[in-house]
Amino acid sequence: MGRIVLKGITKSFGNAEVIHGIDLEIGEGELVVFVGPSGCGKSTLLRLIAGLDRPTSGRIEIDGEDVTRVSAADRGLAMVFQSYALYPHMTVRQNLSFGLENTRMPKSEIASRIDEAGRMLEIGDLMERRPTQLSGGQRQRVAIGRAIVRNPTAFLLDEPLSNLDAELRGTMRAELAQLHERLATTMIYVTHDQVEAMTLADRIVVLRKGMVEQVDTPLGLYNQPQNLFVAGFIGSPNMNFFRIRATGGSAELPGGLKVPVPCDGEVTIGIRPQNLKLAVDDAPALEGEIRLVEALGAETVIHADAVDGTPMVTVLSGQPALGAGQRIRLTFDELPHLFGTDGMRLNPH
Amino acid sequence: MAGFGKTLGRAVTWPLTLVARAVDPPLRVWQRWTGTGGMAAVFLAPNLAIFGVFVLIPLVLNFVYSMTGGTGILLDQRSFIGMEQYGRLLECEDYTRRITCREDQFWTAVTNTATFVIFQVTLMVTVSLITALILNRNIRGRGFFRAVFFFPVLLSPVVVGLIWRWILQRQGLLNLITVNLGLEPEVWLNDRFYAFAATVGVSTWAHMGFYTLILLAGLQAIPRDLYEAAEMDATPPMRVFRRITLPLLGPNFAVVLVLALIRGVQIFDEVYVLTGGGPGTSTLYLTQYIYEVGFASILRNPGLAAAASILMGAVLVVLTLLQLWFSRRAEGRRAR
Amino acid sequence: MSRILTFVFRRRGHGGRWHWTDIATWIWLIGGTILMFGPALWLVASSFKGPAQLAEFPPTLLPYIQQTAVVEGYDAPLPLYTATLEDGSVEVLAEIRRIGVNSQMVDPENPGERINVNIADRSPVREIGFATGNYVEPLVANNFLRFLWNSVFVTTMATLITLLTNSMAAFALSKYRFRGRDAVMLLIVATLMVPLSVILVPLYSVVNATGLLNTLWGVILPTVATPTGVFLLRQYMLTIPDELLEAARMDHASEWQIYWRIVLPLAAPALAVLAIFSVVWRWNDFLWPLIVLSQREHYTLQVGLNTYAGELNVQWHYILAMTVVTMIPVVLVFVFLQRFITTGIAGAGIK
Repeated sequence: MGRIVLKGITKSFGNAEVIHGIDLEIGEGELVVFVGPSGCGKSTLLRLIAGLDRPTSGRIEIDGEDVTRVSAADRGLAMVFQSYALYPHMTVRQNLSFGLENTRMPKSEIASRIDEAGRMLEIGDLMERRPTQLSGGQRQRVAIGRAIVRNPTAFLLDEPLSNLDAELRGTMRAELAQLHERLATTMIYVTHDQVEAMTLADRIVVLRKGMVEQVDTPLGLYNQPQNLFVAGFIGSPNMNFFRIRATGGSAELPGGLKVPVPCDGEVTIGIRPQNLKLAVDDAPALEGEIRLVEALGAETVIHADAVDGTPMVTVLSGQPALGAGQRIRLTFDELPHLFGTDGMRLNPH
Repeated sequence: MAGFGKTLGRAVTWPLTLVARAVDPPLRVWQRWTGTGGMAAVFLAPNLAIFGVFVLIPLVLNFVYSMTGGTGILLDQRSFIGMEQYGRLLECEDYTRRITCREDQFWTAVTNTATFVIFQVTLMVTVSLITALILNRNIRGRGFFRAVFFFPVLLSPVVVGLIWRWILQRQGLLNLITVNLGLEPEVWLNDRFYAFAATVGVSTWAHMGFYTLILLAGLQAIPRDLYEAAEMDATPPMRVFRRITLPLLGPNFAVVLVLALIRGVQIFDEVYVLTGGGPGTSTLYLTQYIYEVGFASILRNPGLAAAASILMGAVLVVLTLLQLWFSRRAEGRRAR
Repeated sequence: MSRILTFVFRRRGHGGRWHWTDIATWIWLIGGTILMFGPALWLVASSFKGPAQLAEFPPTLLPYIQQTAVVEGYDAPLPLYTATLEDGSVEVLAEIRRIGVNSQMVDPENPGERINVNIADRSPVREIGFATGNYVEPLVANNFLRFLWNSVFVTTMATLITLLTNSMAAFALSKYRFRGRDAVMLLIVATLMVPLSVILVPLYSVVNATGLLNTLWGVILPTVATPTGVFLLRQYMLTIPDELLEAARMDHASEWQIYWRIVLPLAAPALAVLAIFSVVWRWNDFLWPLIVLSQREHYTLQVGLNTYAGELNVQWHYILAMTVVTMIPVVLVFVFLQRFITTGIAGAGIK
């Protein structure tokens, strides 16, 4: 239960097409995160799945059934909204029971489901309060509770943690992960926060301008980004990119360090800041001048300009004695990521 | 009080809740069938139906009536006569002498209404502005006094008319004052001038609180720091009023002015109860003219009344467009 | 007392100095208070006076009732007077009857002896009292109870229908996107320009054609589709977040339930303002009921009051009392809900 399939989904508002043909399969019990910069269409896509908006073309299937024309109420899904959208004039209990009463569920069943959700989310003591009398975290729990009691085939969560402060966001993130483990229900989670995406997801869907850039597991995305956009979007600080002309099967980084390249011509070489380390010998290295040093204690973030002027960032462990204006020589062990002129990944032979 | 209100609220809404529950299943079927667009139609239907029957159709029919003659109210008893009714309203042998007009009553009503509007609106705006300025001062009990001036606004025009008729009659309160001042008692409403003055005064008395509120809201929207800045510059009070208060109050002031004009043109209820249009025709205003020609007099002429009301409507449309324009400007200013 | 005065007149801010504008302010405010409340208070005071006292000039401030006494030998109680007798002594006597300028009087203590007194030499014995008959008689004997009921019916029904239809329309206009929405809005704006007084004649014939002439529904229906109400509610509903409606849709609620269980309760403040306005408007309506209702048993209070006041022989003692009755609901609204209305007007500029 909870297999969701999108086939060739497009969506236009007036003349503007915001979703350009998306195909996607979400497996049973999977937690899939839609991630991307704002305006990439991730929330729109979620609303299409929810049934709150209708796609302009394409097909949505839930458990093999075509639900493209089925109303939101009848898709058996539950949604947690960014603003929580708790009914302000109802108590927590009424908020939880409203959806169940609408399906004419027996009173005893409603009560037992609410009790269970209350226990699971530790909101049992708040049942007679109104949303305005709750803290941000409590509201969040109630919003999740409202989804849980429905016993849906899948949960849709639209940036559910974005209204919480950083600390609470951390705890709630962990709780959501546990919750998914316990319920084993399909969840689709929309966020612009890549930490949430990386920590929660079974698979991540990276979206940009209404198109899917890549679908993979978190580590798959990190280790094998399929294009420049994904490479730059996932990972913090952002990946360093060097645009270089490759000749004779290798490309020379500023400073003289050579990288093997499977083809000749313009390539982009991507190196994660965490993969760079200080060069110890006199062998050719990636060279530059330090602009800024951010000492965080456990690690040190160094912003530098390579000798050709390309800005680069590196994260070094510990507290190396470096200062702005000094020259720096860097090297790496792992082979860097390579991208062609079309921005797509080049795999070394 | 709150508990009682809640219980009362439940008692009123309970039967409504039952009805609302009963209509839900059929509407669900309808919604499934037509989608949410069809539901929009359902929600609009009752209001638009009433609106169509009792506003739109009459609006169109008004033109039809104005071009038919006869005393019958049903359309099939009436004959088409073209612009005859308008001609009757507007034709005079000598336009400098009202008495030579074919429908001199109409012209009496028009000139009376115009005079009334000029005096009443001037008085109204002046008094409301002064009151609003005073209420905007840092005085004790502002809420109380605001309510005080608002009280007559709620009274029904009939009650207003009767209260003042009672005060202005021969043995009334006003004569008690005149006699104590050593003057002769007066039957105020039997005097052309006093009766006119009474309609101006009484309608101002009844409605000034409303305009005061709008002006007060405008005054309170003016940021305090502007006044503080002016005070720092040692600006004299009259200059502050002319250069800060009036320009910033402008849009609200215009709304008040136009609203007062619109209401003034339509004046009927309280005057009808107070003077009945008399003595003679000295307080006969337009709406009363329409009412009497259309309904009350023996020689009633609905077509003529319709024609007159269309002429009045034209004036009101112009005034309302002005008002919409001004309130948009007022809103725009508030948004900024 | 003086401490109360200093408390009331103490000015905030600037020390204790009185500027001439402060004096002008207080003159205006106190004068205004007298002028605004005075007439209504005078009406209430007058409404408790009997017909004889109403005809007096100069009028007294408070209502008085002439004292009577039961005198042996007379069936009805006799009115008491203070009479100045020929010998100059002053006594309280009961009047048996008046003949010309003379009054035949009797001493209640000594009913056997009749005394003739010039009416100029006697004045009635009175004490403050209320002629409650002014209220009871028109309600019981005349049709005023009927009028009162009609007014209550019209006001209640019109307000309920106004709230329901206006809120439904406002909901559709604020929460749905559909073709023709702008046209509907424009239509509603346009009718702001068409007050009832402009369409009296054709409206009369429409009401006639629908068979509502001379019924209370003929008074109610033309007034309920107010553009003002739709406007006010729409503005308010626009502030209700759409996510709430979507949450309800996910919660299996039908569109009707969303309207009834989500949007209406959340629009309660705006509904309350409209309800108060509607009650005051409909209670006070005069011209339209005057035209539609031609039979006495259908009159509303306003029309009934005007009819009685328009009679050749105006019975002021009844009229005044019934005017007070007509005023009561509005005064209650004023006392308890004035704050709602004033903020409503300041916010929306409606009346």
